[in-house]
Amino acid sequence: MREHKLRSIAAIISMNAFLPMRRQPLFLINTLASPFSFLFFLAVVGRPGALIYGVAGGLVLTVLSVGSSLQSDLTHYKADLKYQEMAVASPVKASTYVTGMALSEFVFAIPGMAVFAVLSVIYGHYIFLGGLVIFATLILLWVFASALGFTLATYLADVRETFMISPLISIFLSVVPPVYYPLESLARISPYLVWLAYAAPTTWAAQLVQGALGIIPLSLFQGLEDAGVLLAAAAILFFIAATKAKWRET
Amino acid sequence: MPQALLARGLCRRYSWSGGHQDALRGVDLEVPTGTVLGLIGRNGAGKTTFLRIASTSLLPTAGSMQVLGHDVVTDAVNVRERIAVIPQESRPFYWMNPRELVYYYLTMRGETHRVAREKAAEALAELGLTRWENTVVSRLSGGLRRRAMVAMVMASDAELLFLDEPTTGLDPIARRSVWEAIRKAAKANRTIFLTTHYLDEADALSDRLALLESGKLLASGTRDDLAALARRPYRVEVSDGFPEEELRSYGDLSRVGERWMLFTGEKEARELSRRALEKGIRLSLGPVSLEDIFLQMVGQDISVEGEE
Repeated sequence: MREHKLRSIAAIISMNAFLPMRRQPLFLINTLASPFSFLFFLAVVGRPGALIYGVAGGLVLTVLSVGSSLQSDLTHYKADLKYQEMAVASPVKASTYVTGMALSEFVFAIPGMAVFAVLSVIYGHYIFLGGLVIFATLILLWVFASALGFTLATYLADVRETFMISPLISIFLSVVPPVYYPLESLARISPYLVWLAYAAPTTWAAQLVQGALGIIPLSLFQGLEDAGVLLAAAAILFFIAATKAKWRET
Repeated sequence: MPQALLARGLCRRYSWSGGHQDALRGVDLEVPTGTVLGLIGRNGAGKTTFLRIASTSLLPTAGSMQVLGHDVVTDAVNVRERIAVIPQESRPFYWMNPRELVYYYLTMRGETHRVAREKAAEALAELGLTRWENTVVSRLSGGLRRRAMVAMVMASDAELLFLDEPTTGLDPIARRSVWEAIRKAAKANRTIFLTTHYLDEADALSDRLALLESGKLLASGTRDDLAALARRPYRVEVSDGFPEEELRSYGDLSRVGERWMLFTGEKEARELSRRALEKGIRLSLGPVSLEDIFLQMVGQDISVEGEE
């Protein structure tokens, strides 16, 4: 039997997303929990106008969570269920498996993104083609997060290790970077933090989303620069995932 | 007969900071196409390592292996299209039912929806799972879950099936249903590579056996080939009546409960039978079992854990 990429991907999405969502609808709420917690805090204690930062951050964080979910699921399937070993010993290729898994995590994120998209329409001031900018940004961020999750998962031996790594990655990718607040707020604390934030691809993604929602000014040059950095980060992580991630144990 | 699997000088070393462990030390093994090979050995003997290399999940550190004519290191893609595996201690997704498990495994492998549905129903019936086909895994017993895993690979079109301890945790009746499925697959000219530490299972299912101990292949061949390798091919059980010293002179003697157990040669077995008739002592005599052969070759009980 030769590989049928689309059929395989559809099967993995059904197994890993649609079936668990149907059997356990709480999974849907799970992806909304973190982004809404931040939004809630900003609504309660934030200054006027902070809410839209929470909406922009919610879009970014919801897509970013795909990466940590992917990392946990892949590690669980590899270490506990041994399903990855069954997939390795089959016509399914590593790229097909990870694409199916990444898309299934994306399916989980769709309800959250839909809610934040509606909120962004209510509270945001979309610039011309802003919706397209956000869509492209979130796709690039999904590629980045998925490649990161896959690469890390191949090196982890137990799902408990993901509990250790995920919060650290979360700090670097969603707390320090100005995902939920303007970059200037970070500069007020320390210029070094700004440089640290620039090292996180989510900073560039957040600037694009915030710009598209009319929260911060976004020039064409700035937009292209943000998109270029995000694209490069996604490409590098994708390259690392394709070359360094271990489908077969060495 | 063409070889479904051919290993030459296969080695696998696990290294870590400050040490290493040789799980396989130069294993040569052939598995003819269309046969059931039972790889037996204690826990930690290297069975799973061998199977994982053959099923392309693990790279060897030295030696070579061909599966269905393709090298497992350099041509793994062509191997993978024709094999399926149930890994040791694998578990099914708890939110799916057996029908979905088999169906989605098959569609993931590339089967069409119609064929996957038909093959799933067939495999579930064969393994006695039709009654539970719509029950989610979280509500199934451990034995039913294991059978569902077996159904997944049995339903596939793979020519070579790797089953790593497929009946661990099953009750005797469930084990028999898995055995029947394996026998049926073998009749359909599929090659089965089975690892087990249940010697009765290996004996009942395998056309050929291979005995692995501490990463080395001690013996391989048919049941008769292995029996011929046994130093003492007869097993005698006798109650009291003979002096211990006399029994010991006939072969390897050990006490099993209230009886003496003796491994001995053909000539000695005849002599002992004659002496028992003279004395009016009852004894039982027969060829050694697979477990006896194992004990003679390895020198310890199979349940004693090997070094991991």
